[in-house]
Amino acid sequence: MVRTIPVVLALVALSLAGCASSTPPLPPSARPFDDVRRVLVVPSGGESAFAVVEYSAEPGRTFDEILKWIPWQPYLAALRPAAQLVHRGINWALEADRAATATARLQGISPRSVVAQSMVRTLETTGWFDEVRIIEREPTAEERRRADAIVRVAVPTWGLVRVRDVEAGLLSGFADVRGQMAMPGTGVVLWEDSQDVTSPEQIPVETFLRDRDFARQEMMVVLERAGQRLANELLYSRSAGR
Amino acid sequence: MRRQHPARIAVLVLGVLTASGCGVKTAGLDVRYPEASVTRSLLASAPPRRVEVLPVADRRADTRRIGTREGSDIVTSRPVTDIVGEALLLEVKKNGHTVTGDRKDVILAGAVEEFRLDVVGGYSSRQYVGRVVLAVTLADPRSGETLLIRRYVGISRRVVDKDSDNSWRGVMDVALARTMHDFATDPELASVMARLLTAFNP
Repeated sequence: MVRTIPVVLALVALSLAGCASSTPPLPPSARPFDDVRRVLVVPSGGESAFAVVEYSAEPGRTFDEILKWIPWQPYLAALRPAAQLVHRGINWALEADRAATATARLQGISPRSVVAQSMVRTLETTGWFDEVRIIEREPTAEERRRADAIVRVAVPTWGLVRVRDVEAGLLSGFADVRGQMAMPGTGVVLWEDSQDVTSPEQIPVETFLRDRDFARQEMMVVLERAGQRLANELLYSRSAGR
Repeated sequence: MRRQHPARIAVLVLGVLTASGCGVKTAGLDVRYPEASVTRSLLASAPPRRVEVLPVADRRADTRRIGTREGSDIVTSRPVTDIVGEALLLEVKKNGHTVTGDRKDVILAGAVEEFRLDVVGGYSSRQYVGRVVLAVTLADPRSGETLLIRRYVGISRRVVDKDSDNSWRGVMDVALARTMHDFATDPELASVMARLLTAFNP
């Protein structure tokens, strides 16, 4: 019995050591596409949802404090999930209200179009492509025939997010974007990636909700940054594995 | 049969858990830029150059930690400047340039201006935000003239339900990778590298 203890401990150590092993970030899926010269960029993926995400710990923590005073365990077990639901409900309502105000300020901006345009500009500056063109609809048969690849760009979510714990009221613009490049005709996917893009700057949320021009300017910067990010990842994957 | 003292077993188990590095800890994140994921990019469009890469400077406001979590410091297992310097060397070499201090065509100086991990604590979940800001300067070795100054900002966000050093490291790995990819695909940087007069052909 005693002799088995070191063996068991060694096995536990070996199995746990795996938890700390380095896990490199997953690279975007890609195959080499050095021969792609003519690219069509198509904004796609439907409407983008605007969100204000503050990760507020209140009123949940206050509920927890109150629950601590309840001595009866059966009540406590029943009330805790209810408190979590109320917490989520209150924050959802607050954030939805702010998101609705912000959406009104940003009327007319098409996130996927702005991202696609920025992506096109970034790809053009490299000189790697003969033609990079954006089209705001599905390409015709002739356009498909002429293109080496079609890049589809989607922005499922954009908005404001809290990025630091200590600074309440300061949020950063964000855009979660997806891109996929495929060959017309065969549909072979040459590259696809998704990026959570966050503005390096923090801005006061109240000013954002009050000042239409400021809000539009901030979100345009974030969307353009998202287009550059997506383009940079595409460029980085061009010679994937070579 | 002699009985093992329960306290001794407990100490042994704790020792094993500590040594294994599993679970939440606030020290020694092994942030790295894996060589296997480095590919030739826009930086390779410049003709092969002889580049002197200076040791990366640390210009962070707080050089002791990369973040804090519940009062404890979050630090990396190696100096931040080593992590970023290694990544820079990998990119320069992979893109066909020679890293050397001899007969150099250009001097590349990097400085880490930010390398931080923020944890935004919600009620039932947490968001990690990793952020790397790298300033890069290219200089002419003969005249000392600055040819280009660029800043690359890599940010990564991730929401998790449970704290773990693996998640922290993953967020920082991605932030670093994004910074390096922006560096390697910067058309202005590639353009300056392409325009350089070489030491062999002044």
